[in-house]
Amino acid sequence: MSTAALTVVLQEPPSLARLYLNAAATAAAHRLRKRPAATRVPEAVHELPALTVDLEHLTSFQRLLHATVRDELPSAYVHTLAFPVSMSVMTRDDFPLPLLGLVHLENSVEHHAAIPFTLPLTVRAHAENLAGHRAGTTVDMVAEVSDSVTRELLWRGVSTYLAKGVFFPGLDKPGTGGRNGERAREPFVPPTPTALWRLGQETGRDYAGVSGDFNPIHLSSLSARALGMKTSLAHGMYSVARVLAESGHDSDAGTRWHVGFEAPVYLPATVAVSLQDAQDPGGEWTGTAFQAWNGKSARRHFHGRIEPLGR
Amino acid sequence: MTGAARTETERTMTTVRKAVVVGGNRIPFARANGAYATASNQDMLTAALDGLVARFGLQGELIGEVAAGAVLKHSRDFNLSREAVLGSSLAPETPVYDLQQACATGLEAVLGLADKIKLGRIDSAIAGGVDSASDAPIAVSEGLRRVLLELNRAKTAQQKLKALSKLRPKDLAPNAPGTGEPRTGLSMGEHQAITTAQWGVTRQAQDELALASHKNLAAAYDRGFFDDLVTAYRGLSRDSNLRADTSLEKLVKLSPVFGKQLPTPATMTAGNSTPLTDGASAVLLASEEWADARDLPKLATVVDGEAAAVDFVHGKEGLLMAPAYAVPRLLARNGLSLDDFDFFEIHEAFAGTVLSTLAAWEDENFCRERLGLDAPLGAIDRAKLNVNGSSLAAGHPFAATGGRIVASLAKMLHEKAVADGKPARGLVSVCAAGGQGVVAILESY
Repeated sequence: MSTAALTVVLQEPPSLARLYLNAAATAAAHRLRKRPAATRVPEAVHELPALTVDLEHLTSFQRLLHATVRDELPSAYVHTLAFPVSMSVMTRDDFPLPLLGLVHLENSVEHHAAIPFTLPLTVRAHAENLAGHRAGTTVDMVAEVSDSVTRELLWRGVSTYLAKGVFFPGLDKPGTGGRNGERAREPFVPPTPTALWRLGQETGRDYAGVSGDFNPIHLSSLSARALGMKTSLAHGMYSVARVLAESGHDSDAGTRWHVGFEAPVYLPATVAVSLQDAQDPGGEWTGTAFQAWNGKSARRHFHGRIEPLGR
Repeated sequence: MTGAARTETERTMTTVRKAVVVGGNRIPFARANGAYATASNQDMLTAALDGLVARFGLQGELIGEVAAGAVLKHSRDFNLSREAVLGSSLAPETPVYDLQQACATGLEAVLGLADKIKLGRIDSAIAGGVDSASDAPIAVSEGLRRVLLELNRAKTAQQKLKALSKLRPKDLAPNAPGTGEPRTGLSMGEHQAITTAQWGVTRQAQDELALASHKNLAAAYDRGFFDDLVTAYRGLSRDSNLRADTSLEKLVKLSPVFGKQLPTPATMTAGNSTPLTDGASAVLLASEEWADARDLPKLATVVDGEAAAVDFVHGKEGLLMAPAYAVPRLLARNGLSLDDFDFFEIHEAFAGTVLSTLAAWEDENFCRERLGLDAPLGAIDRAKLNVNGSSLAAGHPFAATGGRIVASLAKMLHEKAVADGKPARGLVSVCAAGGQGVVAILESY
């Protein structure tokens, strides 16, 4: 699908603030004129060549997420580099789902090689896998980050988003084999916590500052309520970045991680977290399972695992 | 014969000497914001040293080395112990270093200095520790600190303005030290509550241990046991946390403070957890020759020590369980079992810590899978446990606890050996923040 003809080369990193504004305008326009029901994702691949990392920006990210200030990029930081490029695909006119109100359902990343901050990077992003879900329609945004010079693939992330209440004829119906259709929810029994996060109201703003993700639902209770939330919520990727930093493998080469998001973290919050390391009989690390939940209501916020690639 | 070979020969000919505990001194421990509210770490450590000097006639004495530390430490106190020695009546030529291993600071100071004596590098030493939860360092917020540092680096007015523009109102709130583990955000009590629940330690068992601690400490004071171990300071002559009149009825009335978010009933109260405490302690160590030359007592020898650490960050073990791993290794190296001891000094960070550790040693699964033993390490005779009280009653000024225990145990071993006419042996176990633990064996001299 990534033939050269379909590649859109971006001259500079897209401004997320502008993309959000555009998205709001498009949403308003779409409400006025009924949008034609596109049931395909755009075939275009957006590419941002020769992206360089700002060291001060990287340090702010590492500090906020309680990560060690290393020269290698944390896996979740790479996501923040790739995210604007994915967003530019999601705000295309031929993208079938409305950007505002998309819910981040899950995220999978393969972190193939350690990425020093000095490396010039190329980011490519495209959409795929439009699928039915009991609550709407999901799409996978795929981002690939490679060495600008050698073209070696360093990092590949797949973010799955749900457009609630958007249904397309012809897509898998819930319960008829749709991959997101009827996934039985196992009852959640909180395990023993290994950590406790006390997240203030500013958590969303602070993470927006280091990730560039200024989605209004994270910024203040007022802006969140304007979009129908009861109050502001923490970025899912904030939690992931923090739990990965805690695992000690957040910038390791040759790892893969996956996270499934559940109940949102409304701010302020006290989040109970559990990390559980696994080892093979020889003592080699085989992965860290993690989950987080609300200590009072025991509703799970997210769960996932980081493990060595190739297992 | 080559030079290398000669060195080797000389080394094998060097015999390891004994390191003896001459005695100790501490100031009474005070609950935070009490009698020592305005005393600094340096003040209290100096007071403990002065008492030790007075007790053993060390005025003007050049000690081989002094090592002490504090857990909660001001950045200006980079040379805390050296400054305390300079303020004491020890010879100012006495070399000093600071060390810190959280709550194991005091015991680690004893072990490190004892090894230097054993190897002949020094002949005498003072191991100490001090902590003040009242006179705690308060720092500016991270935000303000970064702005101030950037301002300091800025050369132009524009750079200075840019730095200042990063200041936010919340940055003006100061940071006080907490008891939370940096990596997990859980306080030590919350961590222990998890371990306490995992081992099924009951509220009653914890309250009984706390009661025994108070009763034993009060009895020890009453019979004069601490007369040559404690020097009054700032109007205090006994540990201010000691409640001689406490009872099980009083302890059961207290509400739980830790573990309230766990699915199991919360069992840890202010009564069966140690309070924040201020205090200082010092222990005099020496070679036999040095003690004999000054006609000083030789109470006990420092036989051996062991440190261990556990991974509590990734859910593998409880924060305060490291001594459960250190003790079996120490026993194995010395060819001893738990039955070979006359006294057990297990630091009561929380009653739950002691009881979880004891439960682990009695548990077949734990001993097989975690410790790699064929059989449980075993139960200890509870009549030998913390017989003169421990931290639940005395309080726990973090770095001062090791010195309190070593000095008391050395005296107990000496008394028992004299009474029984045969050697006595004691085990010390101290858990520490960061998932660490240090343990040691002492024998009557």
